[in-house]
Amino acid sequence: MTATPDQSGIGRRLVVDGLSVRYGGVTAAHDVSFTVQPGQSVGIIGANGAGKTSTLKALMGLVPRTVRSIRFGDADLTRVPGRAMVRHGIGYVPEGRHVFPGLPVEKNLLLGAYTRRWKGPTLDTLGEVYELFPVLREMRGRLAGALSGGQQQMLAIGRALMSAPQLMLLDEPSMGLSPKLVSEIVAVLKQLNERGLSILLVEQNAQLTFEVTTECLVMENGVVAMTDTSAALRQNPQVRKIYLGL
Amino acid sequence: MQVFLQTFIGGMSLGAIYALVALGFSLVYRTMGLVNFAHGSVVMIGAYLASTFYLTVRLPFALAMVVAIGVTGLIGVIIERVLRPLENKDFDLMLIGTIGFGIVLEALAIVIWGATGRAVPSPVPAAPLDVFGLRIRTYDLVVLAIAAAATILLVFFLQRTKRGVAMQAVAMDHQAATAVGIHVGRSNSMAFMIGAGLATLAGGLVGPLLYVSPAMGGLLGIKGFAGAILGGFGSVPGAILGGLSIGVIDSFAAGHFQGYSELVTFLIFTMIIMIRPTGIFGERTVNRA
Amino acid sequence: MRFRLGVLAVLAVFAWLLPYQLNSYTMHVVNVMLLYAILAVGLGLAMGVAGQINLAQVAFFGVGAYATAVLTVRAGLGFWVAALLAVLATAAVGLVVGTPALRVQSHYLGIVTLGLALAFTNWVTNSELAGGAEGISGIPRPGLPGIDLSSAYLYYYVELLLFAVTLAFGLFVVHTSLGRRMRAMRDDSLAAGAVGVEVPALRMTAFLLASVYGGVAGVLYSGLIGYVAPETFSIANMFLLLAMVIIGGRQSLVGCVVGAIALALVREVLIDYPTYAQVAYGSVVVLTVVFAPTGLAGLPQRLRSAAGRLGWRRTVRQAASLSPFQPYEAGPARVEDAAPILEIRDLSMHFKGVKAVNDVSIAVPAGQIRGIVGPNGSGKTTLFNVISGLYRPTAGRVILDGRDVTAARPHALAHAGIARTFQNLRLFAALTVRDNVLVALDPTRARGTWRYLVLPLGVWRRDRALRREADALLDRFGLRAFADSQPTALPYGTQRRVEIARAMAARPRLVLLDEPAAGLNGDEVRQLCDIVRSIRDTGVTVVVIEHNMGMVMSLCDHVTVFAHGAIIADGPPEEVAVSPEVIEAYLGETMAMPAPVASEAQR
Repeated sequence: MTATPDQSGIGRRLVVDGLSVRYGGVTAAHDVSFTVQPGQSVGIIGANGAGKTSTLKALMGLVPRTVRSIRFGDADLTRVPGRAMVRHGIGYVPEGRHVFPGLPVEKNLLLGAYTRRWKGPTLDTLGEVYELFPVLREMRGRLAGALSGGQQQMLAIGRALMSAPQLMLLDEPSMGLSPKLVSEIVAVLKQLNERGLSILLVEQNAQLTFEVTTECLVMENGVVAMTDTSAALRQNPQVRKIYLGL
Repeated sequence: MQVFLQTFIGGMSLGAIYALVALGFSLVYRTMGLVNFAHGSVVMIGAYLASTFYLTVRLPFALAMVVAIGVTGLIGVIIERVLRPLENKDFDLMLIGTIGFGIVLEALAIVIWGATGRAVPSPVPAAPLDVFGLRIRTYDLVVLAIAAAATILLVFFLQRTKRGVAMQAVAMDHQAATAVGIHVGRSNSMAFMIGAGLATLAGGLVGPLLYVSPAMGGLLGIKGFAGAILGGFGSVPGAILGGLSIGVIDSFAAGHFQGYSELVTFLIFTMIIMIRPTGIFGERTVNRA
Repeated sequence: MRFRLGVLAVLAVFAWLLPYQLNSYTMHVVNVMLLYAILAVGLGLAMGVAGQINLAQVAFFGVGAYATAVLTVRAGLGFWVAALLAVLATAAVGLVVGTPALRVQSHYLGIVTLGLALAFTNWVTNSELAGGAEGISGIPRPGLPGIDLSSAYLYYYVELLLFAVTLAFGLFVVHTSLGRRMRAMRDDSLAAGAVGVEVPALRMTAFLLASVYGGVAGVLYSGLIGYVAPETFSIANMFLLLAMVIIGGRQSLVGCVVGAIALALVREVLIDYPTYAQVAYGSVVVLTVVFAPTGLAGLPQRLRSAAGRLGWRRTVRQAASLSPFQPYEAGPARVEDAAPILEIRDLSMHFKGVKAVNDVSIAVPAGQIRGIVGPNGSGKTTLFNVISGLYRPTAGRVILDGRDVTAARPHALAHAGIARTFQNLRLFAALTVRDNVLVALDPTRARGTWRYLVLPLGVWRRDRALRREADALLDRFGLRAFADSQPTALPYGTQRRVEIARAMAARPRLVLLDEPAAGLNGDEVRQLCDIVRSIRDTGVTVVVIEHNMGMVMSLCDHVTVFAHGAIIADGPPEEVAVSPEVIEAYLGETMAMPAPVASEAQR
């Protein structure tokens, strides 16, 4: 569903150069640069407060940022405001899910397609999301606030898919979920990636991230501490140290 | 029983007006978390505009209303645009800002229409209907019908149209709304416009029921607000039920306490707030540390 | 200081000589202006200082005036007796109008107070006792022995004196304990409760103060005009009053006075065009809230910073720096297996079906540093919020030192010896660092407010003693250089330290730290550890939520691990760190498998 080809016929590459975020006196992220190749899945891991979420929000234009350049394929997103990112084919799954609690599940999903017309192809996408998450079809009339944490997470992912993105940004999809639900989410993300969707995943759960991604950035105190393939990082004792403080 | 029913019905038409005012309050609160203290003044401006188009320009009543709604909608947009820098930042300051707009609108009304009020004749024949011994004014029925139609339209807009759904989404989570591509500022602007339109509908309809004067805004505004709170702030059915209840309480208070009816209405309202701040349909929100 | 005294002296002489320059009409205008100034000070105290939206100030004014009228004309009392009773009556009304503030705030409070003000106008317009729409005339002029107050000139001096006294009292309140606690409550009522401010009582006090000012102005009004009628106390005048306070600057009483005088003057100049005046001041209110929320009172500050930006003023001030923390004297040696100071029994906290904390039991022995760790959303902060009284738990008990304190009010828990910091920093933004600490340090209770009337000098002395204590505490935490700064202007790490200093100011027995290391660099984290250890060494128990595992490992005596609202591991840090459940919770399951941790731990 997501591999709707771009004008160029292939997916697009995201290049972020020199992204920084400051809140008042605190530098939450400093000079972060990375690239997500078309169809690739990249992770950002690190302990709490390392600046992962800030990086993602800044990339989405949801918090004030300074950046040298953000390019997605041919498009220059450096000055694009948050509300227009989705029009450039970028979907966003916020930390803590942030579904619209007082609206039914189906309305939540349709809002994900706010920039598209609510008919024809959009309804096909809706069907595909329901296929991916059958539980959402069962709950389509239920208020999103009444769903369990895992269902809300699926809804948040489904909502992002509704815009038919080429790149999806996910912020801690494992937060507060049981291991079983986490592995379900992992399976879905892998499946989406195989279908050609590029993924940028921010996670505290390193294991999950390594399973889903091919390459990872490790953040510490607002800066990128290292970048490597996920397979290599899995064996790297430094990662363990950053996490467990040993 | 006869007297009881007569009083009850008497309260319904003003109650419907309060309900419309309450809907406007609720809509803006729901989308922006802001209580628009200028709302009452917009009701008053709407009443003057509608009566001017109806009496002076001699447009048909319905058309006069439509034109008036258009003009006040613009006023709503202006208020939102001026106060936008404070959105999601300081609600107390925004509240005072809307009070400032209220002061200005009231003064403008006096400048344009003078300090003395005007009476608006009923646009429908005045002879009351007689149903099972109850006297029902035809105009009351018109008011109720229009209020019901407006409510249905609003609910349709909020539930069935993309912009309406988006407007609710903005209220629930403006950041997530931004992320799915909704222009939050524009959505708020539209909420204010619709709120002002509802205010004018209420003002235009109340013209033939009350005396149109620059001071009417305060009273209608606060009673509409009381209705909105009573029903549970931000809830559409709550606003309707709350507005109607205030109308009926008013009507009974007027019957029993004559001149002191307002005093009694406000005291009852204050007590209800104390006992149940969230209203009938409202939900308690959690304070997060 | 000398400059200020000079200005004050000039103003006093000017006020004294003013009547000699004015004709009788202008004298009357000035007299009315002073009444508005008194009203504005009262409104400023409630809205600007205590943050309580009060749209009933004009009704307080009315109650004072009407009560005087009724008591003199109808009951035949002498003016001054009536005046005293009228102020008492207004105070009683103030308490009634203030009660909704215990339940609702902000917009709701605005509309409720506005409704009660309308109810008052409705009552006086209809009541026979109040003379209906005609009002009450023939109020006797007040007399003083040997002075004829029916002269507007002499009445001016009475008003001036009362104005000076009420303004001075207001300023005294603002700059001492009561006002400080009110300002703290305005900036962050949650944090104020957590440091022991009795928020409900202070909200009532705010309305009490506002109503007494209204009552005094009302009494003076009836004595000045000799006649009361409903339209003087209309909502339009309420909004005029509000405009005075907003335009003048609601957080500064002097600003309120300036606003009152300025608007009263403008109104007088435009007396023939009252509606245009209304358009003008309404617009200025809107412009003020959008562009200059601090009003006229904030202008000098804004001009100065603008001048600084443009480089017109050289900023000579050296950037102050954080000094090292000076450890506390060690208290009694720690007893192993001490009795638990904090016990949590079978605690659950559910939100609309979400089980944030589910059947958790913890016992923390006195003098321990207890770490609480776990992934995001595992219920740690919720636990803190229950312990410090922000949430009422769904089930279970919280026991502090053998006493059941479940669901006690936050300020009561603060008095019982619990202090806390917040994950996202909740300092009182508009208070200086010293005042932030002072609020927590101050043992004054709301019931001690009577001292302000009886023993103002005692209040003053006590405040100076507290200041010295606060400075000693700031010295200890190395924050003295920032004592007069606003916390929001400080670097993040310094703000964190201010919050810990504030928590320690109340001399707690139990300190809850919620992610104290978040946003700190390595050096700052080490200093933090020293501070926490020193706090523990004085015998205070510390419970710390933290994600920085390095810090948890080196600092804590005992670690409790949360996941999904329940405890999954509990024990000394070195045991917990290698427990498979913990590694799984943090890293995912397979990471728990490879190679022993110890060999990799060498840097």
